[in-house]
Amino acid sequence: MEDDAETTSIYELLQLMSSLNDTRRAILLALAHIYPRSVSGVQLSRLIGYSGKSRSLYRGVISHLKENELIQIDQLTPKLYAIRVNNEHPLLSVLVELCRAHGESARKIYLKALEED
Amino acid sequence: MEDILLKQARALYKDRLRIALAAFIFVFAITFYLFYSPEIFTLGTVPPTAVIPNGWTQGFAVVTSVNTIGFFSTIALMALIFRFWSWAFLPGPASTFTLAVLRGILGSQTVIKPSLGKRFKVTLENGLQFDVNCNIREKDTGEWFAYRLISAKMKSEGLRNIALRHGFGVKDSRLVASVSNDELHLRTFLLTQAMMLMGPSN
Repeated sequence: MEDDAETTSIYELLQLMSSLNDTRRAILLALAHIYPRSVSGVQLSRLIGYSGKSRSLYRGVISHLKENELIQIDQLTPKLYAIRVNNEHPLLSVLVELCRAHGESARKIYLKALEED
Repeated sequence: MEDILLKQARALYKDRLRIALAAFIFVFAITFYLFYSPEIFTLGTVPPTAVIPNGWTQGFAVVTSVNTIGFFSTIALMALIFRFWSWAFLPGPASTFTLAVLRGILGSQTVIKPSLGKRFKVTLENGLQFDVNCNIREKDTGEWFAYRLISAKMKSEGLRNIALRHGFGVKDSRLVASVSNDELHLRTFLLTQAMMLMGPSN
């Protein structure tokens, strides 16, 4: 029974992830891998290879993701925000769990990319 | 990757803006002629000619005249019509795209009512409704054809859990999400699924 609930969650997670567009998917995947670390808007836009301005990323995609409670944003200073994946989300907690269990090498790559700046 | 219909819609929209601007300049010239070539009707208050030279008074009389009031109200009316037009209507191909996507998910039997304000009202088979609003261009991000999905009010019991599990937020006991045009298909699908799970509202 336990197993069944878990595969249901994974199925729903798959559906959710495939309903999002490239940018949003990239954000969630990156943030889930580096959880519980948080990143700033600029770091995030670099991390996912976003070519536009980080301000437009912030006003658009990130605020939409926040509205749907997929990510959490803490305001550290008026200009500095800490963005991380919302681990209390019923499906993203599964994703974080998966990344923790199987995504060790991917996490290394993400963290290395973050160190360089 | 952008849908070909949306590309067309975008080009059409830009073209129409240009045409509208050109027409506006043209009509501006004509109204100018129409309002100022007949007699000037002054508003009555004429400053004493002793203080200000005669030419100035005549100039002021033209500026503060019934003609000017009429002229500016005409211009304002034109601007208003233009605002209304861009608020109310989607470029044709974008409308086709939206309807095609919605019909693709919901089947051809579902009632989809396009209405003024770039809005599509969808009624599901269990009677629940949701709105699909389209923005030609989002101000903050410059994104073209962004959509906003808003469901009808639903009973709150278990709503949040179902909403989150389908990638939606809850606002005012409605499911809401802003989606880009390439997400429209799958997210509307998930919205439909979530609303079917919630069941009829009463």
